[in-house]
Amino acid sequence: MRTTATTDAASLLRRHRDLLATLPVTFRAFIGVEAARWPTLFAPEKAYLGALLESVAAWTGPERADAFAAMARLEAEAGCRDVRATDPRRLQDETQALLRRKGVLPRWRQEVDRVFQRLQPEIDARLHPPGAPRRLVVVVYGQGIAIQRDRLWHRLRDLGTRIPLRLEAARTSDAFLRAVFGTSADGLFAALYDAAGHDAHDAWIVEAGESLHALCEAGDGGGGAAATGLSYARLRAYREMLARSLYDKVLSGVSGPQELAAYARGLDIDPPERSLLRSDGVLRAFVRDAFLAGNGTLLVNNTFVEWAAVQALKRAEPRLLAVRFGVRDKMKPFSSLLLFSRPRPTDQVPVLEDPLGSFIDAEQLSYYVWLNAEKSAAYRGKTLYLLLAEGVDEMVAIRSGAAGSGADERPAASLAEVAATMRAWLGVSPGASAARPLASLVG
Amino acid sequence: MARWVSSRRDVLRGAAALVADALLPRPARAAPDRREVENRAIVVTFGGGVRWEDTFAPEGWPNIPHLVSDLVPQGLFYPEARYEGLTGHFNATGALVTGCLQNVDAYGNEAPTAPTVFECFRKERTLPPEAAWVIASNKSFGLLGGSKLRDWGDPCAANVILPKQFLVESIKSAVSTDAGPGVEDRQALAERMVSALDEGYEGFGWRVHESGRALGREVRASLAKSLLDYFNDPLVPTSGDELTFFMTKEIMSRLAPSLVLVNFWDIDVAHFGAYSLYLEAIRRTDRLVHGLWEHAQSLPSYRGRTTLIVVPEMGRDGDPSGNGFQNHRSGDESCRRLWLLALGAGVPRGLVSERPIRTTDVAPTLARVLGFKMPPGEGRPLSELAF
Repeated sequence: MRTTATTDAASLLRRHRDLLATLPVTFRAFIGVEAARWPTLFAPEKAYLGALLESVAAWTGPERADAFAAMARLEAEAGCRDVRATDPRRLQDETQALLRRKGVLPRWRQEVDRVFQRLQPEIDARLHPPGAPRRLVVVVYGQGIAIQRDRLWHRLRDLGTRIPLRLEAARTSDAFLRAVFGTSADGLFAALYDAAGHDAHDAWIVEAGESLHALCEAGDGGGGAAATGLSYARLRAYREMLARSLYDKVLSGVSGPQELAAYARGLDIDPPERSLLRSDGVLRAFVRDAFLAGNGTLLVNNTFVEWAAVQALKRAEPRLLAVRFGVRDKMKPFSSLLLFSRPRPTDQVPVLEDPLGSFIDAEQLSYYVWLNAEKSAAYRGKTLYLLLAEGVDEMVAIRSGAAGSGADERPAASLAEVAATMRAWLGVSPGASAARPLASLVG
Repeated sequence: MARWVSSRRDVLRGAAALVADALLPRPARAAPDRREVENRAIVVTFGGGVRWEDTFAPEGWPNIPHLVSDLVPQGLFYPEARYEGLTGHFNATGALVTGCLQNVDAYGNEAPTAPTVFECFRKERTLPPEAAWVIASNKSFGLLGGSKLRDWGDPCAANVILPKQFLVESIKSAVSTDAGPGVEDRQALAERMVSALDEGYEGFGWRVHESGRALGREVRASLAKSLLDYFNDPLVPTSGDELTFFMTKEIMSRLAPSLVLVNFWDIDVAHFGAYSLYLEAIRRTDRLVHGLWEHAQSLPSYRGRTTLIVVPEMGRDGDPSGNGFQNHRSGDESCRRLWLLALGAGVPRGLVSERPIRTTDVAPTLARVLGFKMPPGEGRPLSELAF
């Protein structure tokens, strides 16, 4: 169920004008920067900004003074109050520079953390009351990753239940995914999309390859996909455009990463429409940010998958997130030392895959997906996590908030039962399948 | 074609021999008169930001087999070293070499604000520039050899060379045109880099004080030899840290500096977000540190009188409390909890000290090892070392 933003940035700021005038300048700058990003914010982000201001406004004067006192003191020490910039971004950059120059940035960060530790429970109570809808996160290791069974999901398996699977005919990647998610017309994504009050931002696919995208499109009558989809493979042309721009800038000379980051922020390049399952202004900005703000997201497929998935969790708070890792390429000798460089036409070295390295990466990155979801009140205590690997006859299921045993559950489940479990967990139509959900997970 | 490549390789190997025989300083010249400096000190930053859990925590041991099995048993290990400053590479390494927390430009555009060990050492002992070297993979370390203080700085700073930056600039130049062999031909790249040594080094951010605008003959010959060793090595190295390793070895062999800071930095590949590449870089650093110590033991000018200190300049973010291995900006406990290994001259063997120490203790410890004074700072000499 979407959280509807009932206001716009200008009216939100107008409503809290008196409050904002009393807040520390760095906090005010943060609010201003977020408000300026309003057209590119997802609904939960807009709701968050509103709840943040409402929560601060609900404090009494002495409570507010107490909460912000240390932050204000550090600002005064650094001279932040003398900054006259009115543009929020500039105000933020200049005050940050002063805090850094004065050597108080780490202490200021601690104070910001302290303020948010106090605020967060109040914001969470406003946005995620008890009884908020359940969520589902599915992590899939794609075919080709060199899975080491004894190490599989080693960071997470003790938190949940290991469930043996009967793969039956679903031993190939396509068959496996079809059995778990269904196809476009009758699949899980369509079922969630059809449920009352949902839209395409409620279900996300983030993947290294494009198999889940293809599944979503199969049989699609042109009405548009039921999910928001990001495929590293499909975004190749876009990645190359961004990388080319950054590389040209690097070659022309930059003073350091900050200048490059500022240049990247100003790049006005949108992903081509057909590279996304669905496209709108908010999503296009999201994709651009995912590539330009994430470490290594332009260069490594699984890094992009994890980063974009975590950003989706934090920003869009989808009810269903499907994350699919793939096999990454090995770094090329020497030429990979040049960030964003393109191979010369005369220098084409065959691309070599790194299946074992990809497994090690996916193990760590899937852990980060879980970890970041659990940091959010939107997911904590409300989410079922399923860890699957194509062609592997077991999965791990973690029910947020429930103690895990790490033990096997018998007997083995069919993929149809896994699919039924996901639908039942989300409370959407069971579809045509006669399979029953796994009672131990949905009960 | 294969024959041509093969013969060209032979020519290059021959060139390496020629460089060694004809250009390199003769042994008599190679060991400058340093009767006044008996001890040697090498500091290796296990650099780029590495976490306790990926190294000396039990689950990290497979990543550092040489440290765990070969080096720790020979030395004194401090499992509780801390760094309390800004968690950027330059400031963190600046704290190591000054003994004071630094708060200068994170990308190396400002020199440290307190005298470095190199300046104090050279100034007090009136030593020539080649007595102290910084050999750094991090391209922003050009100003790490000396402070910005009046009466200090260049006249007594360390020589600084940035092998990886040199490599990157050469690659950039090789791929800037479709003509020529590019980077896939190792020998062509080797030739290009050897030639580049003759064209000046300032563009690579180096600061070699001895030689003014052109590299001094001895230094140039050492670097040329190390380049050829790197490109001809049977392990086919490609990383910046491996070039740093080869250049360090050659500088030690030919110039025998008393004080060397070696900065490895491949581990910072973690920013790419591939955990396996990060672990691979840790294993490589482990191998290179061990190789450097073995090399020191093979040289009469170092054997028996060299103290080695191995220490990460900082950690990386923790998983639950920070942003994970990819970053080092949270300043959480995982960014600050480090370790330090000392071995060699003056260091008790096979001991673990549970006493918490700080990375700012490294500079005053070096001062004690080499017998010079540092201005009072935030660190204290490691008292367990006998000097």
